[in-house]
Amino acid sequence: MIRALVLGYGFLGRALIKKLAAEPIEQLSIVGLANSKGYLYREDGLRFREIREPLEENEGFEKDKASSLIRKECIDLLIELTPTNITTGEPGLTHIRTAIDEGVDVVTANKGPVLLALNELERMAAERGVVFRYEGTVGGGIPIFSLIEKCLRGDSVVSIRGILNGTTNYILTRMHFEGLTFELALREAMMLGIAERNPSLDVEGIDTAVKITILANSVMKLDKKLSDVKIRGITKITPEAISAARESGMTIKLIGSIEDGELSVEPRLIRLNHPLCVHGTLNAINIKSRVLKSLTLIGEGAGESTLASILNDIYDVILCRTS
Amino acid sequence: MRVRLTLGLVDRPGTLLNVLEQIAMHGGNIISIIHNRDRITAGYVPVSINVEFPSLGHLEKAKIGIESIGVPVMEAETLEKKVETLLMVGHLDINLTTATLQGMGAKVVGLSLIGSPATPCLKLVIETPLEKRQQLIKSLEKLAESYGCLLIREEES
Repeated sequence: MIRALVLGYGFLGRALIKKLAAEPIEQLSIVGLANSKGYLYREDGLRFREIREPLEENEGFEKDKASSLIRKECIDLLIELTPTNITTGEPGLTHIRTAIDEGVDVVTANKGPVLLALNELERMAAERGVVFRYEGTVGGGIPIFSLIEKCLRGDSVVSIRGILNGTTNYILTRMHFEGLTFELALREAMMLGIAERNPSLDVEGIDTAVKITILANSVMKLDKKLSDVKIRGITKITPEAISAARESGMTIKLIGSIEDGELSVEPRLIRLNHPLCVHGTLNAINIKSRVLKSLTLIGEGAGESTLASILNDIYDVILCRTS
Repeated sequence: MRVRLTLGLVDRPGTLLNVLEQIAMHGGNIISIIHNRDRITAGYVPVSINVEFPSLGHLEKAKIGIESIGVPVMEAETLEKKVETLLMVGHLDINLTTATLQGMGAKVVGLSLIGSPATPCLKLVIETPLEKRQQLIKSLEKLAESYGCLLIREEES
């Protein structure tokens, strides 16, 4: 039995617990569940049906930092889902470092630590014989890392391009099909909960740049930082520009790319029948490799679909530890 | 990519063969050779070779290889050109923009100004020799930056 601690009880943490409550994984026991105020811990596994909202109102809730549970005696797996901080990576980075150091396997969807310290964390994990998975950090439910790692073993990826941010894609889609201004499309996205209350990371292209950096370091084994990415967001795109694109059978999309070791994020004119031209909140990633040549993956890049990646990573850990 | 190489060969047996070896070594597939021995100028025979290279990188390496055996490459003209659409969102000097494009070897095949004076958008369709494209894009990026404009390039199909 794998004993797991879920650190972070926001949107994804709640979705994971809801899913596991409905469809438990036989070899997995969630022994700890933590938010920023404290944690619940039960050595023989939490009973999901007994857990009430908010977490701190449950009997046995410890008003202490859950990081004290990241020890091999308490858990085998850390599921790190705390909020992303792209400047410091904290608190996730310390949680993951501690877990790996303790010999605890890690699954995360937190972009901050993976952006800032992927090479270090992978090196540490290899040294300690720890499984470290982070599929949910890029492309939501699109299995980009697993696919490249497990299905393109004899191949080598030469370039990656794609739409990696659902919020900006939604805004550009609404501008294209409904003729909305950027401001109006953004306001609509915020009202629908597609955009964050502070949408600047999305619309300035930074979120896409974070994902491109992670892809470059993970897939292409580069050593890139966020500052290495040439970034242009979508805030200057006008209805006139969209209309000019439409006249030529094209639209405008925010494309992140890794090509010849150069990383960039910028709006691009794209033909409506181009494989990357997906609409709404969809993401699309194109991989060019030496043998396969070209492969495009399309899927929901955020929200609950990210759960598919987290679950697959959890199964990877279970398979590795129980086979 | 198809390229026309114009070389100045010394009129000495075996020189052309050495050049052809360099081209083949760098992945070039020779389409035709025009070797005009009647037009020797200052001891050089002008030779024009049409070659298909797998990429611009292969062409560049072949040029270095040819020059390394003492044969000057007088011109490498790409016979294939890229036609693409560009948008420049914001205020800019259209004359200066088109002059920059033409100065870089691009041909403006379409131009339209869309939008109101407050929110202008310049749409350009340009034809560029492949080997000049990267330099042209860099110049356009600099130009757009100097105007505070947003340059939107076309995604490769």
